[in-house]
Amino acid sequence: MQVIQLALKDLKLLLRDRTAAFFILAFPVLMGLFFGMMMGGTSGSERGKIKLAVVDEDESELSRRFVSALERNENLSVSAAKLDTAREQVRKAESTGMLVIPQGFAQSAGIFWEPQPELQLGVDPARAAEGAMLEGFTMQAMSELIQYRIERPADFLPSLAKAREALANDTQVDLVTRQLGAPLFRAIEQFIAGLPTGENAKAGEAPNNAVAAPSIQLAQIRKIDVTSKAQTLSVGGETFNLRSRWDISFPQAMLWGVLGCAAGFAISIARERGGGTLQRLLASPLSLRQILLGKALACLLASILVIGMLTLLGWLLGMRPESYPKLAMAGVCTAICFSGIMMIVSNLGKSEQSVSGVGWSLNLVMAMLGGCMIPVMFMPAFVQQASVVSPVRWAILAIEGAVWRGFSWGEILPACAVLLGIGALGFAAGTWLLSRASQDGGR
Amino acid sequence: MSARLAIKALNLRKSFGAIPAVQGLSLEVFPGETLGLLGPNGAGKSTSIQILTGLLQPDSGEVEVAGGNPHDPSVRMRLGVAPQALSLYEELTAAENLSFFGNLYNLAGSQLRDRIAWGLQFAGLQDRARHRVSTFSGGMKRRLNLAIAMLHEPEVLFLDEPTVGVDPQSRNHIFESIAQLRSSGLTIHYTTHYMEEARRLCDRVAIVDHGKLLALDTVPALIATYGGESQIQAEVAQWPVELSSRATVEAGILRANSAKPLEEIASWTAVGARFQTLQINSPDLESVFLSLTGRSLRD
Repeated sequence: MQVIQLALKDLKLLLRDRTAAFFILAFPVLMGLFFGMMMGGTSGSERGKIKLAVVDEDESELSRRFVSALERNENLSVSAAKLDTAREQVRKAESTGMLVIPQGFAQSAGIFWEPQPELQLGVDPARAAEGAMLEGFTMQAMSELIQYRIERPADFLPSLAKAREALANDTQVDLVTRQLGAPLFRAIEQFIAGLPTGENAKAGEAPNNAVAAPSIQLAQIRKIDVTSKAQTLSVGGETFNLRSRWDISFPQAMLWGVLGCAAGFAISIARERGGGTLQRLLASPLSLRQILLGKALACLLASILVIGMLTLLGWLLGMRPESYPKLAMAGVCTAICFSGIMMIVSNLGKSEQSVSGVGWSLNLVMAMLGGCMIPVMFMPAFVQQASVVSPVRWAILAIEGAVWRGFSWGEILPACAVLLGIGALGFAAGTWLLSRASQDGGR
Repeated sequence: MSARLAIKALNLRKSFGAIPAVQGLSLEVFPGETLGLLGPNGAGKSTSIQILTGLLQPDSGEVEVAGGNPHDPSVRMRLGVAPQALSLYEELTAAENLSFFGNLYNLAGSQLRDRIAWGLQFAGLQDRARHRVSTFSGGMKRRLNLAIAMLHEPEVLFLDEPTVGVDPQSRNHIFESIAQLRSSGLTIHYTTHYMEEARRLCDRVAIVDHGKLLALDTVPALIATYGGESQIQAEVAQWPVELSSRATVEAGILRANSAKPLEEIASWTAVGARFQTLQINSPDLESVFLSLTGRSLRD
């Protein structure tokens, strides 16, 4: 009963401390909304586009088709520019990259047996990852030109005749090859001449949908829908059942709230020690363990309250947890874990200020490493491996497992077990440290 | 150990690392008695009180308070403690502080309400019951600190420097409150470095320094034993020659020591001595402390 009274007193104090209440209640909501909006929706239309400045020095029909193909790419925001202007835009980070279409582009572009025109792609060095994507999108646009060429066999025939003639007159090539090559070229010419033309194809329509001509692709690219179910353990499985931006941002926000609770209550223990109320509590019939249990219970209840509040807010915005019982379990285990960590942190400084400094520094490291700022799946492999030491990682895994990863009980339990273990260890270590500190007479 | 003593400490020792805080302290306090522990800052008073209330484990020695070990929760239920630091929740109201601490001592319902009302009246805070402690003056906080210690009607009350940092008005209020508690038969263990408080409030005074008990007795007995003679200082208007062997007068100023200063002065005037000013300094606890330690209590 006294333990509950202790917890209620701490919750009352928490609500009356505006700064602590902000960091525990308002800050996580702001973080959730901020990261949710930053991530954008799950549909491409809402996502930020890569800005590409295109310099068309050829100004041919084919180069315009190529630019048009780039413009149809929903991931790109294409603008026409002169060479110097494009270069300035990239230098000033106004564009991610610039693409120069050289003069003579139309002569050989899309004819796959001719040397291809050299496109010049300049990318902002600070955005190398997007540069790689630009290369891919450029190749994709080029593939459309190949199809365009095939739809117009007449465009190919002069080039083929020229090649046949060159072969026939090339004395460096042996006679047998020249004699075999001539009929082969004629057969190709006849095949192309017999293909249906794409004259009736509507302008702007995707070529592979518009004609029945054989399609040629420079690369096999398969688009995956990250919002639909995919196999667990596959790349797509990482985004299993992700339905909205809030599915990722709100688990993160919950962790910010729990971290705020842990820091707030760690500071409150330091405050009790510095202010003398801990001495009065210790002089009461309560044992040290009961006093700390009261603190842990208050931290636990506040954390659960924050998780509940953010679940409700997330639900109102569109988050739809797959399993509420699993979310409840993940939430409780997370709250226990950080209540335990709070007990240790409260002993890592002698004053309120030092505990606050240590607590928030530790929180930031755990949050960064554990995926509270950037989802772990977007981190480099070695950071992903290192993140297993952060309790935040396990907490987010458990909560995400319940919200959108579709974890089974068997899959969510290991993460919960880790959280409970850390919580128990933290409580034991915190009790021991505080007991030792109180026997030092505050020295 | 004897069950009739309210507090019994035997050869207590406590060190913090290489620093000895309490060195062989032994005390006996009788039920209903107010014992003052007088000593300068750093003398080991607070450490002693922490051992006696079960907050600290002594390195060696035995403690019995209210008939048991102060580490026992049932014994602690019978103890009241007003720590030197103001042990209050600043963001709770006076009534909420009383209610919270009352709960810890199993007070509930109408009993708790009655005791909260008593505590507010005891601290003189009836009209500030719903105000947060953070808005109180130092004196008001001290009074509330004392009221909380008394809320559950303990058998033994430990007061650690209960008047530090308070204004004279609040100090008087606290003195009156403690006097009221004394008269009710409560056993009080009172630590202070103010001689006036020890003299005024305590039945017996224990003088401690460097963690050691130097003397323990009633104030008059301590003064009689360790205080020495009264000091007489006067500006002399007329000083008969026959008195020159009994006191020294230099540049018109007389300085003399005497166990019975009034009788001494009467004998001087009887033979013709006359004074322009006259001052008698009787020995006090300061003199006792000076005599026992060779230094002033205020050092």
